[in-house]
Amino acid sequence: MADKSSDLVQGTLDMLILKTLALEPMHGYGVAIRIEQISRGVFRVNAGSLFVAFQRLQRAGLIRSEWRATENNRRAKYYVLMEQGRKKLSSETREWERQVVAIARILEAS
Amino acid sequence: MSLLRNIAGGLRSLFRKGQAYREFDEELRGFLDAATEEKIKQGMSHSEAARAVRLERGGLDATREMLRDVGWESVVENFWQDLRFGVRTLRKSPGFTALAVLMLALGIGATTAIFSIVEGVLLRPLPFPEPGRLVILGDVVEGSHCASCAPSSVTAPDIRNYMRYTQSFSHLGGYRGRLFELSGTGDPAAVNATRMSGEVFAALGVPPLLGRTFTQQEDDERQQVAVLSYGMWRTRFHGDANVLGSTIILYRKPYTVIGVMPRDFEFPLNPGLVNQSELWLPLSLQPEEFTAGAASAWNSRMVGRLKPGITIEQAQSDAERVAQETMRDYPAHMRSLRIHAVVTSLQEDTVAQARPLVRTLFSAVIVVLLIVCANLAGLLLVRAIRRRREFGVRLALGARAVVLLRQAVVESMVLSIAGGAIGLALAAVALRVGVSRLPQTLPRVNEIGLDWPVMLFALGLALLTGLLCGLAPAFAAIRTSVNETLKQGGRTGTAGSSHARLRSALVVAEIAVALTLLAVSGLLLRSFEKMRDVKLGFRPDHTLAALYVLPRQQYRTQSAIDEFTKTLLNDLEQLPGVDAIGITSFLPAAGNEWSVPVTIEGHIPSSGAALNMAAISLVESDPFEALGIRVLRGRVFAESDNAGSQLVAIVNRKMAERYWPGQEPIGKRLRRGLPESSTPWITVVGEVDDVKLGSRDTETVPQVYQPVTQSVASKGVLASVGELSAADGWIVLRTPMAPEQMQTTLRAIVRKIDPQLPLNQMQMMEHAISKSEAPRRFNTVLISSFAMASVLLSVLGIYGVIAFSVASREQEMAVRMALGCPRSGVILFILSSGAKLAAVGCGLGLLGAVAASGLLRSFLFEISPFDPGVLAFSVIAMLLLTLIASALPARRASSTDPMLALREQ
Repeated sequence: MADKSSDLVQGTLDMLILKTLALEPMHGYGVAIRIEQISRGVFRVNAGSLFVAFQRLQRAGLIRSEWRATENNRRAKYYVLMEQGRKKLSSETREWERQVVAIARILEAS
Repeated sequence: MSLLRNIAGGLRSLFRKGQAYREFDEELRGFLDAATEEKIKQGMSHSEAARAVRLERGGLDATREMLRDVGWESVVENFWQDLRFGVRTLRKSPGFTALAVLMLALGIGATTAIFSIVEGVLLRPLPFPEPGRLVILGDVVEGSHCASCAPSSVTAPDIRNYMRYTQSFSHLGGYRGRLFELSGTGDPAAVNATRMSGEVFAALGVPPLLGRTFTQQEDDERQQVAVLSYGMWRTRFHGDANVLGSTIILYRKPYTVIGVMPRDFEFPLNPGLVNQSELWLPLSLQPEEFTAGAASAWNSRMVGRLKPGITIEQAQSDAERVAQETMRDYPAHMRSLRIHAVVTSLQEDTVAQARPLVRTLFSAVIVVLLIVCANLAGLLLVRAIRRRREFGVRLALGARAVVLLRQAVVESMVLSIAGGAIGLALAAVALRVGVSRLPQTLPRVNEIGLDWPVMLFALGLALLTGLLCGLAPAFAAIRTSVNETLKQGGRTGTAGSSHARLRSALVVAEIAVALTLLAVSGLLLRSFEKMRDVKLGFRPDHTLAALYVLPRQQYRTQSAIDEFTKTLLNDLEQLPGVDAIGITSFLPAAGNEWSVPVTIEGHIPSSGAALNMAAISLVESDPFEALGIRVLRGRVFAESDNAGSQLVAIVNRKMAERYWPGQEPIGKRLRRGLPESSTPWITVVGEVDDVKLGSRDTETVPQVYQPVTQSVASKGVLASVGELSAADGWIVLRTPMAPEQMQTTLRAIVRKIDPQLPLNQMQMMEHAISKSEAPRRFNTVLISSFAMASVLLSVLGIYGVIAFSVASREQEMAVRMALGCPRSGVILFILSSGAKLAAVGCGLGLLGAVAASGLLRSFLFEISPFDPGVLAFSVIAMLLLTLIASALPARRASSTDPMLALREQ
């Protein structure tokens, strides 16, 4: 059940979910679609890893969930970013950018 | 914060599992539906879309499984499942379960009960703040081989000198226990009291429950104040808080109660329950305690608290310096005495004597537990072998080996924890009944109980037992090759050789440890028997004894004392039903002997040799007749042997044989004290049989009897000015009637002479003897019952293993018989397989018995730890029991009809 296109770097799925939820509260399918669309199909998320990640983030107090009606009037669980999640996202983003720059430097150097 | 949320989330999903799953299913279904709709929009058919989504995103069930493993609660849940599975499988075989739990309960219960003794007596720190700094300071007198004297005791001048001149102690004081006559509140009674320096309370550092303790200043000023024990306060004063300031009468002198100590305060930490101090008084040494013989009486002890940073060695060399000073000041009559100061930790001093007993008990009970473990492991192994097919099928269907292993261990844990719980209850019952029966040689008996450390120990023991017993068989079971097992089908072929080896090893181990314990218990029983054969030297039947102590306050002169004694003896002689009476300062079998140096005419000790010690009993009237002590030579004392006449003595056989071997002791002379002490000669007029002053298994000491009337005269310079004699003694009385009938009469007679005088420790001599034998009886009974239990358990184990191996080889036996092997051949074959195990086990067990001998030696009496009779008997008994255990299965195997057994397949 490996992700079809390219495996996510370990731990980055949490960051992508937080980023997606930073725009607006969203249900599980919406998050998956949004990640695929924004990454232009590079990342494909399967249900298992996605929901495990949701569970983990909820436990950590970064997001919370609530049942709402969807645009086409179905009941779905929406995930909402919490204040702590927002902080976490910005620190993770900064850390990510630092790493990307560093890796780029190493690659250029060789 | 997030940890809390994590726990809360986990708990929520644990307890509202249904709801959590429903919610998740709904969410997941929504997710998959949305994905499917998306595919349908792209032009797929409904079923194609559903299949594509399952491939791309993962199916419902797989995802659900993945999600289940998130968070810590999944571990709990798995465990819970295993637990339910374990309980369910155990319920299916109630016989096995009951047997296993019962065995474990006995093993863990016995071990826990004994451990609570180990914990209370040996391990728990003393109940004082910073107990590590508390030490006992005392002298060792060179050459005084006095086994029964308290180790490292001190004299009155020692107390003064050590307190004044040592520098290593922040507090240091002397103490001395004795009986006090208590009157003025309720019936007159004798109470155990401790006279001690005010510094002792300071050293111990335990604040009183009520009021205050006395100070060194009050001690020096001889203030008559008293501190009560909690027990005394509750029983005699009904826990009245107004007791402070009230007056109690001790030996007819008024003392003011100034404090009550808390319930768990105990000092000195005497062995046994009955000897605990009920009252503390200032030591307030009297001037006469520093003079003459009293100054050389090592009858007190000292306890101190080391200054911070001072080691025991430093304190000892500091005290040694003071001891040398003290020796330099010795009066002429003590010139040849050499002493050394010894400092030991209070903890060590308290537990040293109890340690061998407690260790031996603990080792014995651990052996029982090991056998229980081996048995349980054997049972589980047999079960595991029976379930080989089940394991095989499950492994073939994809169960992970780890899961099977986990389930096997959980199952055995369920057994062991159930056993542990019941065992704990058994231990609680045993302790409630048993603590009062513990031998009076154990210190800190009050602190024995089921407290937290003991409970934790029991729980840990149960878990460990379960783990150990469960793991080995489980490993053995899952190691079997799946294909082999399944291929064998329903056939009960012979079990794999590794299982057989494991089972044999278990049985051999059981036989070995059971034999060790059997041999040990045999040795103890033989020791007990030998002890019972030892002659007491007196006739304990029909004899009553009681102690009186005349208070100085009332009986100030010798004539007052003599008047009391004369009236008492007169009145007793008048009684009908009294054959003989006497008064003696030492009661046989009571264990309160006290040896002092004596000098024998013509017997010059070489320098550095041991001192000549003898136990001197002061007697009046005819205790020889009353106690039934045989007179071997010469005469007993007469009325005419009094203060004015020639000094006379009677010696025991041991004394006569040691100093006048092969000679007539009558007419020989001896005197009290050391050669340099100027004391008058005493002429021996009689020789009597050796009498055991302690229990039968103690060594007989040289004994000298003197008329009490001649005691002061015979002491010469050792007597202090105005010393009185005969102020205390044991009344012994021989009656043709049952001695208990004389008790009230004896009490009434004493009350008539002095209504305030209590009689102490009134006892039948037969009781005194059984009391002195109690510690040995306790050891013997306990270890023998452990041995019986272990033998029984190991026979059970042997039976189980042989029976099972016979049952699983039924077919093989049938084939053998069908091919013409006679029935007796089959029986012999099975018996010999049992005998082989027994032989190996017995060999190892003998080695174990040899190893245990070191621990045991101090408990044996006149028997070697390698006594061939006992060892041979144990081996033969064990072999026979093994044969009996294998005979039953052998008979069954030989009686099967070979045709039936073969057709069954």
